[in-house]
Amino acid sequence: MIQLKDVWYITGGNQILSGIHIRIEPGEFVCVVGPSGAGKSTLLRLIHMAILPTRGKLIVADYDAQTIKQDEIPYLRRKVGFVFQDFKLLSDRDVYENVAFALWATGVNRRRIRKRVFQILAEVGLSHKRYASVVELSGGEQQRVAIARALANEPFVLLADEPTGNLDPSTTEEILELMKRINAKGTAIIMATHKADLVRSLPARVVSLDKGRISE
Amino acid sequence: MSMSLMYSVREGIHGLRRARTATAITVSTVALTLGLLGLFLVLTLNIKHLVDYFRERMAIEVFIDPGLSAEETNRLEHSLGQVEGVETVVFISAEKALERFREELGADLLEILGEYPLPASFQITVKREFRSAAGLEGIARQLHSLSGVEDVVYHGRLYQAIERYSRVILLIDGVLFTAVFLGAVLLIANTLRLTILTQDHLIRNMRLVGATEAFVRRPYLIQGMLQGGIGGFIATLMIWIILAAVGSLFPRLLRIPPWLVFTPIGLGFLLGWMGSRLGVKRFLKS
Repeated sequence: MIQLKDVWYITGGNQILSGIHIRIEPGEFVCVVGPSGAGKSTLLRLIHMAILPTRGKLIVADYDAQTIKQDEIPYLRRKVGFVFQDFKLLSDRDVYENVAFALWATGVNRRRIRKRVFQILAEVGLSHKRYASVVELSGGEQQRVAIARALANEPFVLLADEPTGNLDPSTTEEILELMKRINAKGTAIIMATHKADLVRSLPARVVSLDKGRISE
Repeated sequence: MSMSLMYSVREGIHGLRRARTATAITVSTVALTLGLLGLFLVLTLNIKHLVDYFRERMAIEVFIDPGLSAEETNRLEHSLGQVEGVETVVFISAEKALERFREELGADLLEILGEYPLPASFQITVKREFRSAAGLEGIARQLHSLSGVEDVVYHGRLYQAIERYSRVILLIDGVLFTAVFLGAVLLIANTLRLTILTQDHLIRNMRLVGATEAFVRRPYLIQGMLQGGIGGFIATLMIWIILAAVGSLFPRLLRIPPWLVFTPIGLGFLLGWMGSRLGVKRFLKS
């Protein structure tokens, strides 16, 4: 469960988010839509606790932004997967290593890593490319690798910041289908996008954000 | 070995490869500085050995009044033994002194002079804690004040000189050691800075997927320790080769304790660890 109560985020004198109220239940699919600069990415970064609210209450799973300690944040992030428009993959490693990386970094043993990586690559449809270098993949395939990595630690929610921003329409469709399947298996998804038409085909609650304020 | 530690070791080794030039400069500088330090340590140990050799032989000769009776001599021997710091008192009669002279120089003074030329004396050794120029001086003063003592002889100036020079060498040692150590620590920290700068993307990714700060930092700590350890190993080889060469020229000159071989390696790891901790603390901001 994710809960924001009167959350404000102000930086450099600018109000990026103003009085945000939102509650996201387990397994929900939420699309945050709004123009560039509306505060969508900031909202996702707050949920990931890459930044903390200036004011207000933010609770993600068992963690409260007001009381969370710096050394607890990595453990929160294992429960909150994150994918980006530009994928943020490690270009010097292959597909397997990029996904396994999330498990190595969290101290999982080799046998479990192997099993989990094979399983998750099968889910995103990339088993056949597991030893390919990520730079040789298409944009859609790279986003699948990023999604696989974000899901490796079995998070309860997947944050997606413009995940189709760099993709053509047919690849966009494939990625959205993949996200629907992931959501159907019980993982909550919060997707930020500026393309309002994109969300029509999704079984999602739409949250509109404009100039840092919310209107559902 | 746990998965995350294995990963850290592998990443540490990769880090060395990624910043190859900086690593090569650091390793060779560490090797050179630790090599020099090791050689200086050998020199210092040998000088200390020499100083200890002299110290163990620190003795005071107490010449006695030739007119003392046997009973008075016995009483004096007892009094000498009572002086604080005196370890042993050995009586050297005039005959024994002459015999020693004859053995050492081959000349018979008795034949030449017709009488015993050397007075009877007591050879005094001092306890370990008094084996210093100041300690000897204090004892000698007390011995001199005893009745029946004609003269007290010891090599005060020689001992003073030995002490003074050994102190200077130890001071140089300390300064050199500190300078080398700090220099190497800063160098390793700087090499890590270069590695960290090139791996900004990797570090962000680690944090993104939930790696703890300890996990993020560990490869860099390992990398620094490897740099220091490799430098230390090369330094050991350098010292070993130089000492083998010098040892074959002067076989009785050098004394090398076995533990010295591992000192540069241990020091290398230690300064690598310190340098990398400094580098990580300064350059790997959360």
